[in-house]
Amino acid sequence: MKPPSFEYFAPTTLDEAVALLAQHGDEAKVLAGGQSLVPMLNLRLARPAALVDLNRVTGLDYVRAENGHVVIGALARQRAVERSADVAARQPLIAAAIRLIGHPAVRNRGTVVGSLAHADPAAELPAVAVALGAEMVVTGPNGERVVAADDFFVSYLTVDLAPGEVLKEARFPALPPRTGWSIVEVARRFGDFALAGAVATLTLDDQGAASDVRVALFGVADRPVRVPEAEQVLRGERPDDDRIAAAAEAARAALVDPPSDVHASAAYRRHVAGVLVGRALREARERAQASG
Amino acid sequence: MVQMATPRGKWIGARVKRVEDPRFLTGDARYVADLTLPRMVHAAFVRSPYGHARIKGIDASAALAAPGVIAVLTHADVASVPPLQDPIALDGLKKTPQTVLASDKVRFVGEPVAVVIAEDRYLAEDAAELVQVDYEPLPAVTDAEAAMAEGAPLLFEDLGSNVVYDQTYRFGDPDSAFQQADRTFKKRLHTNRFMASPMETRGCIGQYDRGLGELTFWSSTQMPHMLRLSLAGFLGIPEQKIRVITPEVGGGFGQKMTLYPEEVVVAFLARHLQRPVKWIEDRRENLMSATHAKEQIIELEAALTNDGTLLGLRATCIGDGGGYSFNTASALVEPQAAALMMPGLYRVANYEARVVAVVTNKTPVGAFRAVGWTAGHTARELFFDEIARELGMDPVEFRRKNMIHEDELPYTTCSGQVYDSGSYVKSLDLALQTVGYDELRARQAELRAQGRYLGIGISPYVEPTAWGSEIALQVGFPFPSHDNARVSIEPSGKVTVAVTTHSHGQGHETTLAQVAADILGVDLADVTVVFGDTAATPWGMGTYASRSAVIGGGAVTLAAQEVREKILKIAGRMLEADPADLVLADGKVSVQGSPDRSVTLAEVAVSSYFVNSVRAEGEDPTLTATRFYDPKATYSNGCIVVVAEVDPETGQVRLDRVVSVEDCGTVLNPMIVDGQIHGAVAQGIGGTLYEHLVYDDQGQLLTGTFMDYLLPTATEVPPIQVEHLETPSPVTVQGIKGMGEGGLMASPAAVAGAVLDALAPFTPKVEELPLSPERILRAIGTITD
Amino acid sequence: MKRAIALTINGVRVEAEVEPRKTLADFIREDAELTGTKLGCEHGVCGACTVLLNGEAVRSCLIFAVQADGAEIMTVEGLAQNGQFHKLQQAFWENHALQCGFCTPGFLMSSYALLQENPNPTEDEIREGLSGNICRCTGYQGIVAAVKSVAGSAE
Ligand SMILES: Cc1cc2nc3c(=O)[nH]c(=O)nc-3n(C[C@H](O)[C@H](O)[C@H](O)COP(=O)(O)OP(=O)(O)OC[C@H]3O[C@@H](n4cnc5c(N)ncnc54)[C@H](O)[C@@H]3O)c2cc1C
Ligand code: FES
Ligand code: FES
Repeated sequence: MKPPSFEYFAPTTLDEAVALLAQHGDEAKVLAGGQSLVPMLNLRLARPAALVDLNRVTGLDYVRAENGHVVIGALARQRAVERSADVAARQPLIAAAIRLIGHPAVRNRGTVVGSLAHADPAAELPAVAVALGAEMVVTGPNGERVVAADDFFVSYLTVDLAPGEVLKEARFPALPPRTGWSIVEVARRFGDFALAGAVATLTLDDQGAASDVRVALFGVADRPVRVPEAEQVLRGERPDDDRIAAAAEAARAALVDPPSDVHASAAYRRHVAGVLVGRALREARERAQASG
Repeated sequence: MVQMATPRGKWIGARVKRVEDPRFLTGDARYVADLTLPRMVHAAFVRSPYGHARIKGIDASAALAAPGVIAVLTHADVASVPPLQDPIALDGLKKTPQTVLASDKVRFVGEPVAVVIAEDRYLAEDAAELVQVDYEPLPAVTDAEAAMAEGAPLLFEDLGSNVVYDQTYRFGDPDSAFQQADRTFKKRLHTNRFMASPMETRGCIGQYDRGLGELTFWSSTQMPHMLRLSLAGFLGIPEQKIRVITPEVGGGFGQKMTLYPEEVVVAFLARHLQRPVKWIEDRRENLMSATHAKEQIIELEAALTNDGTLLGLRATCIGDGGGYSFNTASALVEPQAAALMMPGLYRVANYEARVVAVVTNKTPVGAFRAVGWTAGHTARELFFDEIARELGMDPVEFRRKNMIHEDELPYTTCSGQVYDSGSYVKSLDLALQTVGYDELRARQAELRAQGRYLGIGISPYVEPTAWGSEIALQVGFPFPSHDNARVSIEPSGKVTVAVTTHSHGQGHETTLAQVAADILGVDLADVTVVFGDTAATPWGMGTYASRSAVIGGGAVTLAAQEVREKILKIAGRMLEADPADLVLADGKVSVQGSPDRSVTLAEVAVSSYFVNSVRAEGEDPTLTATRFYDPKATYSNGCIVVVAEVDPETGQVRLDRVVSVEDCGTVLNPMIVDGQIHGAVAQGIGGTLYEHLVYDDQGQLLTGTFMDYLLPTATEVPPIQVEHLETPSPVTVQGIKGMGEGGLMASPAAVAGAVLDALAPFTPKVEELPLSPERILRAIGTITD
Repeated sequence: MKRAIALTINGVRVEAEVEPRKTLADFIREDAELTGTKLGCEHGVCGACTVLLNGEAVRSCLIFAVQADGAEIMTVEGLAQNGQFHKLQQAFWENHALQCGFCTPGFLMSSYALLQENPNPTEDEIREGLSGNICRCTGYQGIVAAVKSVAGSAE
């Protein structure tokens, strides 16, 4: 199980990387943490003619708080983000999601941005990005553009990145006050990709009603999905158990065509999505209430 | 053979650290993949992407032209090699010859079709992709029952059927038992296909010396001498001109006790190319082409009286053998073993078993720890749980009532096994006491009231061990089975033990040294155990089926005793004492009662080898003995209890703990016994909850990587507590019984039993394993579509 | 096209010309001739190939050797110092944490990294920390016990 040959480039600046990518068009692939790309190469499921390795580009491994956002650069390793004090203080949902990814050695190499660019529909971080309404900052031959997470994830392993473009950073809005959050999933083993998972945030107003609620699911479609049907059930309402159960039911009903594979059928995913939405919302409510 | 009157010394039974460990801890241990020879080249196999297809042509020209390529071989190039087939001589068993590279047809995804040799593995894989094979896809059949049906696509047209064996055995009078029964029950269980999946994949290196006409073959195999015998036959090289060396072997569990086509091809190539050829299987190849295991469709019927007494049993065991009735022990390896041990440790006087073996377009099935027994035991134990539930009896009570009690031993089962000795009820009781059964039942009730679902699974077992000729016959695979040991005292007084049972994790370097050290009165550090090289050991069958402790230990005992007698004879002459009055201990021979009259073992050895006067006329100067051992059948026993909690909303299972009571007679080293149980139980957990080789209906393997074939990790395997009982076998040397397989025979029933017990309020129905979250939710009716 | 690279492995500088596609694992095993690092899957799941790259545990089958140019690598061969076992090696021995030994180098390196980061892990933390390594022989009992026995003891 050895990878096929490729041309290898290790640029030291982002401009250089973009130029190399532009030059090789769709024959080239970005190499970040390699935790998804290299297995595919070793299994010969991917055969790019050229690899543009970002690992020697300087100044891309930042995690910083900026204008109410947590901003994560293309080379910030999952493990560093998981441990970041800024993340813990401003958007703990990101760290919680990362803890569900694989194992320490995978997270030591894997990047947050690489996970977003890879866009596995069962991955945690893309769902977090969708739930929070994160912004993707894309750099390419024609300069920079910002894409909303909702538009960025197109379908299975496909994102809104043209040949020659690099996902430079992701900006996650910080958690507003009186907001609780949760990410829960069902995986076959600890650390596996999820069969299904749910992300929720819930903001309470002074009356204890939900002024904002966000629900996203992963593993149940060809990309992470926001579930407005479930959010609507709660918005402006007190999130009691019955309402949450109704929201969970709405999420289940809203799923169009969940995938079936060797690990679970569409029916299983639909059922469990509802269970997880309920659990995530309850946990988010508890955290929101605890945050005073 | 009776138990030997050897006094127990300080080593046998001691929890000794393994002497082999340091080289593994430093990274110095060498497995096949770690070896490099001058001028060595690398093989990559071209494998069938189809479950069933006709080969219309192969064009290797592009591959041959690729960089670094030395040769590409197809069937035509190896046509002189006879096809592989099983050696089992049973009436009615059809043979399914397999050419080492596919000739006209491929019968499973992963079947070797061609081989590319190149300067390194990267280049070999590049070129393998360039070999153009023209396939005509054929309809595939991937379900055993579908393969039995009229009109099913045939794997071997000339056999006229996919069924390679179909026999019914009757013991006692099953028909009257069913007529007399107050109640009868039925169950069907399709056990999942999973596999040994040793962490080291298969691999081998062949090197041929043209001048000497000798083949040296390094292979990750469990059976060096059997491999040598086979290679000799297939390649026409005299057996004595082949040396098989097994360096460290990174686990086998049965998968490496077979002859593989790849091994024959690599040996062929070494001679053909006159260069050392290395093939290291990658994980994807291992998952699709090394033997699979455990898949059966089992149907059971039981006849009972109203008070829960078992009157009779009927079983149909259909083994899904995959693309070839494989050369290990044929496609019968699963169903035959399952059927003959189906009564287990229960009193079953009347029993009927139908054994069917079928070929399908999946990877061939071979041995894997507790072969056949895992599936049979699981089906029976889950069946008994269901019966107990229906009868309103506690599952423990139902078992106790029908179990063979200690005072009935030795016990001859209706299907011909002779259970020599054991602690069946005692093991059950000890397991329940250790786990705290009554408290657990109370806790279960408490938790249920809170909407939490705790379950307890109980799985008592009897395990055939000591795979000698007798037990082979008793469990349905008539084949002579014995092994040898050579024990030598070197002139320095140090001990070399050469054995034919191979170690690939079982710790023989320690346990067999413990046996020799006790008998020869030396320190463990003065004994070296040698195996895994046909040039350094006597002839023998190898390691499989929990045979090494009994047979290896027995043969070492016999040989060491013979050497001991020689030592005493010579020391007697040196000390002018009667050998009967001598004590051999701590590296010295001394006269009973007068410890200053002594000689060291080294002095005895030097004298024996170099001082003619201490020897009698014609006496052999070497202190060496080679003895074989073919033990009588002996059966270990034990009981595994699992505690699990199930989330009925998601179908997720969390295992809390496992208790395993083990009685394997005389224990050589309890630490190693514990380790064997831990590993086997973990494999059982994998096979019950996670591991499944899934095919689509065209014969594509859908779980071809470790991302989808799910081995349990440290977060899935809970603490496993092992308790020991020790009922020495009355029929083996030292009273040793084997114990390598019980954990995998019995733990799946305990794991699945715990899950189903947890869900009892929902009356779960399970006909298929593994218990994935999805299957669990279906079993309790949460999802139906 | 081959490239010249230089790495430090267990304190020793290793230089070689490699194809970019050569994995770090193959480089360590073939070019540096340190065969203690094992390959169990080559797609990132089993952990047998775990080494430390600049102090952090990584899967060497998922990194190309060229990417490690200039890096400091530590492999299982670097654990023992002056012929003395590292305390983890000693603990693995005493707790029967290995049978066939194939997974052992990977587990030792993962355990080493785990304890560097969290010298006093709970049993659950040990299990989670080692969940990226597979052992088919031991059922993890001896491995978890070994790491537990070392946890909390100073370097
Ligand atoms: C055993 C194991 C278990 C895992 N479990 C999980 C899990 O549970 N959940 C989960 O989410 N993931 C899991 N992963 C995947 C892991 O999280 C990866 O790190 C992640 O998916 C990709 O990040 P990376 O930095 O490694 O990207 P790479 O593998 O380097 O790249 C992945 C893809 O994204 C592209 N890419 C990467 N960065 C950029 C960029 N900046 N701009 C444009 N394109 C880019 C690459 O070209 C490639 O196509 C697991 C991996 C392994 C080996
Ligand atoms: S060999 Fe690298 S993770 Fe398995
Ligand atoms: S000791 Fe064999 S795989 Fe772990």
